[in-house]
Amino acid sequence: MKKNKNNIIGDWLAKNGNPEIDRMVKHNLAIATKVAHILKEKGIGKSEFAEKMGKSPSEVSKWLSGTHNFTVKTIAKIEHVLGEEVIHVEKEYKYVHFYITKSKEAETPTKYSFMSGYAS
Amino acid sequence: MNGIVRLKHIADYQKVCYYSVVLDKEDEPIETADSLFENFITIHTAENLEKLNHILSWLTEIGNKYGAQNNYFRDEQYQGEAVGLPPYAMGRPPVYTEDGETTPNNLRLYCHRLNSNVVILFAGAIKTQDKAHECPNVKEHFLLANRLTNIIDQAFRDKEIIWNHNDTDIDYHEDLILYY
Repeated sequence: MKKNKNNIIGDWLAKNGNPEIDRMVKHNLAIATKVAHILKEKGIGKSEFAEKMGKSPSEVSKWLSGTHNFTVKTIAKIEHVLGEEVIHVEKEYKYVHFYITKSKEAETPTKYSFMSGYAS
Repeated sequence: MNGIVRLKHIADYQKVCYYSVVLDKEDEPIETADSLFENFITIHTAENLEKLNHILSWLTEIGNKYGAQNNYFRDEQYQGEAVGLPPYAMGRPPVYTEDGETTPNNLRLYCHRLNSNVVILFAGAIKTQDKAHECPNVKEHFLLANRLTNIIDQAFRDKEIIWNHNDTDIDYHEDLILYY
């Protein structure tokens, strides 16, 4: 059997793809898969999860299909109900330094320097 | 028997190999003959770019990370094993983003999911009715997809198409011709 040397799907996405749609698919699938994994790990069925969330089982099925656009509010409620973090924000900006340096020469306009840093 | 069917390889990802079929072009080399899936791409690049983008991104993502699990396809079986994309859950339309707005994606691509590693991609169109076989736009594509799934399943039973040693890909003779 002959394999195609080109990736027809990849070539199309490289030429025509919208990165926003690509990211949305990645995120929705990742969230759905993670929620499904947590449910399995904790032995919680779809119906029980739907009840805890105050939603219908069909709504939960849609969430788990990976085609649902989750809002932060829904994710927060899922995290609260399951007692697990669904989204992990990798870098947390804890502080930002802001310096102002004034030039010694009176006639020279004030110079401003900006420095910032973060700790994760 | 109306015509011939040849399998064409489309793309390999870490977890899924995608194929399509070429119909009625016996004399054209398989490399240059457009498959049903390539025709689908050509038509909907012009007509439904973002909806098509959503489906192709989906194929890429499940191909790379998750495998072609059952729940990532929509179950629309009717006189055959054809399934659809994007997936569907209990009467709710799949959504994607178009021009920054959440919008139902009513573009359908019909496929034959052989297992979580191999999927045959056919064609589709904009679906306007609940039942695929009742929708004037997709009916023809859906019924053809179902016929083709039955033909491909028969080719497996006849050992014209075989699995590799760990069921992660298929193999067949380069000159394999099936009939529909």
